[in-house]
Amino acid sequence: MDIPFLLRIGQTLSEGLYTTVLLSVLAITLSALWAIPLVVGLLAPSRILRGIVTSYIELVRNTPVLVQMFFIFFGSGSLGYPLSGFVTGLLAMVLQNGAYMAEIYRGGIQSVPVRQTEAGLAIGFTPARAFRLVVLPQALRKVIPPLSNQGVLIIKDTSLVATISVAEITFHARMMADRTAAVFEIFLVLAVLYIVLTAIFSGVMRIVEKQLRIR
Amino acid sequence: MELLINSMPLLTKGVVTTLYLSAASIVLATVSGLVFALMQLYGGIVLRVLVETYLYIIRGVPLLVLLFAMYYAAPYAGLTIDAFTGGIIVIAVYFGAFMTEVFRGAILSVPEGQWEAGRAIGFVRSKILIHIIFQQALRVAAPPYINTCVAVIKGTSLVAIIGLADVTYIGKQIVERTLAPFEIFGFVAMIYFVICFLLSRLGSYLEKKFDYIN
Repeated sequence: MDIPFLLRIGQTLSEGLYTTVLLSVLAITLSALWAIPLVVGLLAPSRILRGIVTSYIELVRNTPVLVQMFFIFFGSGSLGYPLSGFVTGLLAMVLQNGAYMAEIYRGGIQSVPVRQTEAGLAIGFTPARAFRLVVLPQALRKVIPPLSNQGVLIIKDTSLVATISVAEITFHARMMADRTAAVFEIFLVLAVLYIVLTAIFSGVMRIVEKQLRIR
Repeated sequence: MELLINSMPLLTKGVVTTLYLSAASIVLATVSGLVFALMQLYGGIVLRVLVETYLYIIRGVPLLVLLFAMYYAAPYAGLTIDAFTGGIIVIAVYFGAFMTEVFRGAILSVPEGQWEAGRAIGFVRSKILIHIIFQQALRVAAPPYINTCVAVIKGTSLVAIIGLADVTYIGKQIVERTLAPFEIFGFVAMIYFVICFLLSRLGSYLEKKFDYIN
């Protein structure tokens, strides 16, 4: 194996690294935020609101994110307000992963026994206060591992924006593969880059999980 | 509307390809997931390390990168597989890892006492696995299994990028000629939605049915 050669490929690919990392960070953060109003709607007493949010979640979860990207990318263009590939990818990923994360939040909140809320009310907390001080901290610990998994999937999904000409790492790899014959080396380095990125993210999430653990 | 009607024969072809790709990938991924899960759990240290390495790699590498690697590298490796077979294999290898996790988790969820009970009535290991453990693991595995199948169907849309004429690819071709992205991609999305939604419903129906027997 020609190590200096692999490093040179890595150097060329890393021109797209900033875009991949920026897109991943933005997509993960915005998805986690967008999921908050969604989970509020999911747990709302109003049946209409619940119905709307459930339909939205079913709709985006049962359609491929690639088709959503094409829909937004080519659709916005035909309206005369073309969105950039980056914005399109971000939007599609937040719409889709927000839905998944809302389900994760709901699972976390519902995993906290009702007795806990009752105990909070018994010592004189208002329902809102009981939720914030009793339920939320417990739910937060439960959702970190599945959120971390979802984040890894988001990082991997950022590769899809290569198809709407965003110059991230997969895009650069494909350009190189079209021009050279070193395809094994190129995709090996690309795969390693993704493994490193996802490993760093899961590592950070594990530290967060440890920090939140009750000692 | 007229545009959609005119595009229908082409789109139908794409749907058939998508369904065929999905079915083949799901079957392959299920079989390999089951085999890998058993290897990881009962195959000894060497097989376990091998399976875990495979899981680790798949967990970190995007499906699109694997598809590109197959698409670009297979000819250099002297492999003359057509893109279609290659696509099925890559999708199956990718989602086989998710299936492995599903099956492994389900088998591990069966309490240790069930093994002891099986041994107590004189069953050998394979018999316990088939007659006692699998029966119970099936119920645990069903919901995440269906979710993974939905992910496979959605995942097959990526083959459009390497030029396989599935419904996403054909949709894109039509859009390039007709400049009607909302109608066509909206319709393509609806096709995926119907397939995946029906599958999820079927999943929850089966789940309830099994529960009833239980």
